[in-house]
Amino acid sequence: MTKQTEFEVVLYLLISVLSCGGAAGQGKTATKGPADPPAVKSFGSKGAPITMEVFSDFQCPACRTLFLDTIRPVMQNYVSAGKVYFIHRDMPLPVHPYSREAARYANAAAKLGKLEQVAEALYERQAVWSASGNVDAVVATVLSPVEMTRVRQFIKSGKLDAGIDKDVAMANSQMVKSTPTIILTHKGQTFPIVGVVSYPILRQFLEEQLRK
Amino acid sequence: MWRMILLAGGHGLGWVLVYAGYVKVRLPWISFAATIEAYKLLPADAVVFVARTLPWFELTLGALLVLTSMAAGASYGYSYFRRSVIAAWAAKGNMMALAALSAVASALLLTFFAILVRSFVLGMDIDCGCFGPGEKLSLRTLVRDGLLAGLSLAVTAGAVHRSRSQTVGSPAG
Repeated sequence: MTKQTEFEVVLYLLISVLSCGGAAGQGKTATKGPADPPAVKSFGSKGAPITMEVFSDFQCPACRTLFLDTIRPVMQNYVSAGKVYFIHRDMPLPVHPYSREAARYANAAAKLGKLEQVAEALYERQAVWSASGNVDAVVATVLSPVEMTRVRQFIKSGKLDAGIDKDVAMANSQMVKSTPTIILTHKGQTFPIVGVVSYPILRQFLEEQLRK
Repeated sequence: MWRMILLAGGHGLGWVLVYAGYVKVRLPWISFAATIEAYKLLPADAVVFVARTLPWFELTLGALLVLTSMAAGASYGYSYFRRSVIAAWAAKGNMMALAALSAVASALLLTFFAILVRSFVLGMDIDCGCFGPGEKLSLRTLVRDGLLAGLSLAVTAGAVHRSRSQTVGSPAG
């Protein structure tokens, strides 16, 4: 190796190390993020052929069944594969005393990119917080103390209701009357599904649509 | 008089079935499949089959009931004014067809009614699904479907009675 080549290699390494440091620095900045990031309530690729909007209430037992038995496998098999773009919409019903509070926690977690984990915890332990009203304790089981502090700050700010109300307004405009309601969109056509649908049946429908 | 009531009953029943089928046919099959599945009576494949075929069956049966009751009315009217054997045969044939179609409708509606009663007794918080999604199973839907099944049975009994009692050779009277 000539001296000039050695110099070029050292220079290259130096630039690489510096650029990595810069990227890391950028990463840190990105992690810190803005003070109030927008809630991310969708999963998968926006360019997926099918869009699946689910209007649900965290305290509704049918929504629990839909999430645990149908949505989870859809996430694994269709959302991850880029076939379905999933959007969560909040529709807390007035008959459920803690559903809005649960929706606030979910929306706060969505701002940290933790909606899926929190939704799963809320549905899995629905009976616990529905009886006690202690949503915070259930959410705390899946988030770190730092994340919980931020979630509580978001809730305290009182700004989360606007996002929930926007979803409710969207439900009203789409004639959604009960939870859970799924609205599938494929090639400009919308397919409403009211109530719980099992994964084997939904899979048949999704496959049929994807073949079109 | 009774014949008119019978034919009006068959006609009305037909339109109810046409409407029930039409509402479901307009929606994607999965929409009705979700409603059927909520009753927890059938496996997934059977749910899909029923969701795909039942709305069309209701629509066809309803349309046939409407057409048959209209044809029965027309043939009786004709045989009343023009006393001919052909008209009397047509009237009898139409009444027999009405009896057969309303018997199928009765079987269908009684099955629905039995399923609704079972679900209501079990306290299932589900959609009725009778005329599309969004209508909860309640005492009101139960009474309505019971009355429809009753109407269908009455039309069947009346049509069977009329088709048997009428002798061809003597015009319908």
